[in-house]
Amino acid sequence: MDKQQTYAEIFKARGVNRRDFLKFCGLTSVSLGLAPSLLPKVIHAMETSPRTPVIWLHGLECTCCTESFIRSSHPVMADIILNMISLDYNDTLNAAAGHQLEEVRRKIMKDYKGKYILACEGNAPVKDDGVYCLVAGDSYLNVLKETAADAAAVVAWGACASFGCVQNADPNPTGAAPVSEIITDKPLVNVPGCPPIAEVMTGVITHYHTFGTLPELDRMKRPRAFYGTRIHDKCYRRAFYDAGMFVRDFDEESTRKGWCLYKMGCKGPTTYNACSKTEWNDGVSFPIGSGHPCFGCAAPGYWDDGPFYTRLADVSFLGTDTNADKIGAVAVGAAAAGAAAHAVVTAVRKKKAGNENDQLEG
Amino acid sequence: MGRIIEEIYVWKLPVRMYHWINALCITVLLVSGFYIASPYLNPPLGEAVWFKQMSGFRFLHFAAAFVFIANYLFRMYWALFGHDTYARFAGFRPWSMKWWGKPFREQMASYLFLRRDEPNYVGHNPVAALAYFVFVFCGSLFMIVTGLAMYGENNPGGFADTWFGWLIPLFGSSYNLHIIHHSVAWIFPFYVILHLYAVFRHDVVERSSVTSSIVTGYKHRVEEEPSLD
Repeated sequence: MDKQQTYAEIFKARGVNRRDFLKFCGLTSVSLGLAPSLLPKVIHAMETSPRTPVIWLHGLECTCCTESFIRSSHPVMADIILNMISLDYNDTLNAAAGHQLEEVRRKIMKDYKGKYILACEGNAPVKDDGVYCLVAGDSYLNVLKETAADAAAVVAWGACASFGCVQNADPNPTGAAPVSEIITDKPLVNVPGCPPIAEVMTGVITHYHTFGTLPELDRMKRPRAFYGTRIHDKCYRRAFYDAGMFVRDFDEESTRKGWCLYKMGCKGPTTYNACSKTEWNDGVSFPIGSGHPCFGCAAPGYWDDGPFYTRLADVSFLGTDTNADKIGAVAVGAAAAGAAAHAVVTAVRKKKAGNENDQLEG
Repeated sequence: MGRIIEEIYVWKLPVRMYHWINALCITVLLVSGFYIASPYLNPPLGEAVWFKQMSGFRFLHFAAAFVFIANYLFRMYWALFGHDTYARFAGFRPWSMKWWGKPFREQMASYLFLRRDEPNYVGHNPVAALAYFVFVFCGSLFMIVTGLAMYGENNPGGFADTWFGWLIPLFGSSYNLHIIHHSVAWIFPFYVILHLYAVFRHDVVERSSVTSSIVTGYKHRVEEEPSLD
């Protein structure tokens, strides 16, 4: 297969007509939040840019990112995108295995030095020289560093690679660290979520192809186009939130009526993702749409911000059933009790002093 | 007890205004804040568009917060530039070992019943000054900046987000910041109890009209100083 094929050529080879190709470009521009004036640029890039090779590594993870990615919503588009990005190395999807596949990775690194994208799924345990995750006979930590050295940019797929996810939840026995803490000298984009939304993943890749740069990032290195606002801000149940109509129990009538899930521990108000906008599985639904509070899987440290079904986190160092309100109430109670005790002592001493004075005078 | 022999004007009008605006703001902020964290009212019945229970409490919280901030900034101005002996930062130097010396230790000993006499101060005593610094100065500042960081989330790229949004990654996540803001809010009810107790106790023990002084501005010295001895 000619690696210098452009997207337009691939579309043509696959029997997609120009009208559908332009539709795809328009859809991509919209999903990236680009101005209509930039559409010709997207089309031009798609027609002329050769496909960028992508090396897709898997570290400590569950492969849900890959599962999500291959389900990018519009079937034809997903197929095309897989061909577009020239996904030369993905140990889950590749037919080749073992030394053969590792040879492919080294060849890409050599042939496309400084030009390929490194996509990381999962993170690397750094404790004990990374012995807790071995890939092809070497530690994933080494593989990651070696592959990142000549990459043009690094894409951290999912909650694992972006923020650590369950592997790095307290007490983090393997010292799992997000990619941004290991690879510090390359342009990096975090695409958090467990998994990230398929269209968001393809959107990030498309942006890189079109402009040759990573999309505009926020403070946590997430693409603003998809992670700019909270799930809460575009939630279709927001009206119930503003009205103060909350589900208090899953068995209640209010659940059936689709009231706000805030009191059921919904993390939508603190989670930045496009779920309420893009939705999942070709726009079928998203967790809140299916009647379940948001877990906050795209937020940093979501396994430590538990439990999932309460708004207020447990304060783990003081036992399993303690939260900020209980500590606060105890502290205020202690202050009141202390003040009362202090008042009693003051009164007793004053009384005693008074008696002594009386005796002296008497 | 004896006649009032001296009347001292301690709390000037700006200080008294600050105190009561602050007290009102803190009350409103706590009531609305606890509702926002855990909506304790019964849900209204009817169509969602008819009601504004949560958005009303949020508006109240944000409005009170901005009054609180303005009031705080005013108090800082007054403490730095106001011609007011008792409201200035001038005497408060916790970074100097000298400040922790005799007056502080005497006051602390008195509170712990290790001394029989009660030191008397026209303005704040050193222990009170430390408590104000920790709870009112630092506590309020913390609530203001963390609050503004979260307020910025409503309008990404806006003023609050640009200037205070960097606090969110600093605290790990937006959720963490919410929980910390909520936890630290508890220092205010905690402090109010200690504050009220200390005021009432000083008034009972010293009869210096400290309670009414925050309304009238005047403290009094009575002829015969009551003593525990």
